[in-house]
Amino acid sequence: MKKYLKYLLPVLVPFIILLLPASSFGIVGMTLVEQRIIAIFVMAALCWVLEPIPIYATSVLIIVLQLLLVSDKGLWFTKAASPQELGHLISHKALMGTFASPIIMLFLGGFFLAMAATKYRLDVNLARVLLKPFGRNPKFVMLGLMMITAVFSMFMSNTATTAMMLSILTPVIALFGRNDLGKVAFALSVPVAANIGGIGTPIGTPPNAVALKYLVDENNISFGEWMLFGVPFVVVMLFIAWLLLTTLFPASIKEINLNIKGRFLKTPKAITVYVTFVITILLWLMGGLHGMNSYVVALIPVAVFSMFKIITKEDLKKISWDVLWLVSGGIALGVGLDKSGLAANAIEAIPFAELHPLLLIAGASTLCLLMANFMSHTATANLLLPLVAALGASMHSLLPYGGEVMLILAVTFAASLGMSLPISTPPNALAYASGHIETRQMAKVGVVLGIVGLLITYAMLYVLNQL
Amino acid sequence: MDKINIICVDDEREVLESVSRDLAYFADMFNIEECESAFECEELLEELDAQQEYVGVIISDHVMPEKSGVELLTEVALDNRFLGTKKLLLTGLATQADTIRAINNAKLDNFLEKVWDPQELLQTVKELLTEYIVEKGLEYEDYIEKLDPPTLYRLIK
Repeated sequence: MKKYLKYLLPVLVPFIILLLPASSFGIVGMTLVEQRIIAIFVMAALCWVLEPIPIYATSVLIIVLQLLLVSDKGLWFTKAASPQELGHLISHKALMGTFASPIIMLFLGGFFLAMAATKYRLDVNLARVLLKPFGRNPKFVMLGLMMITAVFSMFMSNTATTAMMLSILTPVIALFGRNDLGKVAFALSVPVAANIGGIGTPIGTPPNAVALKYLVDENNISFGEWMLFGVPFVVVMLFIAWLLLTTLFPASIKEINLNIKGRFLKTPKAITVYVTFVITILLWLMGGLHGMNSYVVALIPVAVFSMFKIITKEDLKKISWDVLWLVSGGIALGVGLDKSGLAANAIEAIPFAELHPLLLIAGASTLCLLMANFMSHTATANLLLPLVAALGASMHSLLPYGGEVMLILAVTFAASLGMSLPISTPPNALAYASGHIETRQMAKVGVVLGIVGLLITYAMLYVLNQL
Repeated sequence: MDKINIICVDDEREVLESVSRDLAYFADMFNIEECESAFECEELLEELDAQQEYVGVIISDHVMPEKSGVELLTEVALDNRFLGTKKLLLTGLATQADTIRAINNAKLDNFLEKVWDPQELLQTVKELLTEYIVEKGLEYEDYIEKLDPPTLYRLIK
């Protein structure tokens, strides 16, 4: 029975919600469309938590169900009720548009950069050059490894970065003595740095992209602005993580020699990759100076790499469409809540205003951190951010603390800080597979970094608000 | 989770049993099949394909009555349905000509000599399976505890 629960619940519970009378939700004047959105949201939450289907499939299901049940071109009987009872149907173009929203394009651009960098070995070669100044003392080699991992994961996927760095590390770890705790430190340093590094840029990790959907109009944050607070946060967190790892798991080996083979490619294609990479990042950092926003800039590498066959037809097939769709579903969920009017209505009905705003920030981010430890970071962000954004927009008591931006950023950062279990993130799973780490050791580091990370997030937001 | 098979082919019962025993490590997550001849293996391949199961690794002896291991593996190499399937020849009696044909026609992925070291066989199959899973684009997370970490790190992009 328990085995089937994960399949039954995501079907039954939303169905019951659909059948309930509209008055049972405690929201005055709730429309049919709003009720259906609630059902879809609950289904999404159950599917992402219980994972009866792949998480990206849940996202696709959200979009398709919204098209069928609440769009202006949905099934005939879904539109049969009187307009007043029915509420606002959502434009099917808006829902389908989530597959190609500017945020998705930003990520696509990031994918192109990362793929080209890997294909032309820019990543390994940079790692080789950047690691040199850190010498051979295990402590400093680890610091170097962590910094490079973090920088790479700001532009590449956290998983790909982790795999690359672990493959550099594997021969080194093999030289450690049987009971040398340094093995644990090294094996853990990579996923930790990759998870933290993802926070540094809007394209570092999918939760950041989801957050961008809610940071619009006067709350808009540009690529450069994000890095202005994201990178210092990453630096502080990395330093703490490094101290933690070197104290908890000191290495008894005295010298480490990382041997990375290869040299920088100098073919015309490789040079095109380097130049495009640098120009794209510079354009991102310049903000609005050139009139383009980060979404438009992101498509430049897509065009250049396609033109020069740097990313070929075969490479195109290897793009992580699942990640893009996963984010699309989250965006669609937000569109549904917003455009149906449910977000505004529900917030009015629930007396959140009585809640202390700081309590809300702390509560929401802690919940997010907790969820992110047990399920996909992106799915967590997909579920919590639309709710938090709606709440933040309506709560005037939040304004002295920086308004909804602070709330959204606190929750977004919390989503990336969930890293205490092998199942928390793919980088953790990869490092755990090395066989050098026990779950207990990973949990110790992950829990400390999660809590410390939240506290630093609050401090950072406080400082940001003072500026 | 997708069903992935490891097939062992050898005309000697004892060899089959001992290979299976060495690969018991995989038994709870993968299907280990034993065939006593190349024909039996071909039948099994048809059956597995009809059920849309994956064939990750074939470990075959060379000298067998009726049809040799190299002939069997050559057929597998040319069969589109088993593109990517890893082929390991486990034999003590291959001439140089056999070996040349095995490499050129059967596109062997690995060659182990009888008598083999159980540890080496296990490690080799681990690596081959890891390559198969990543190259096929299967969900490696599902099998991660049985795979070879260094190979995984090398292949994941």
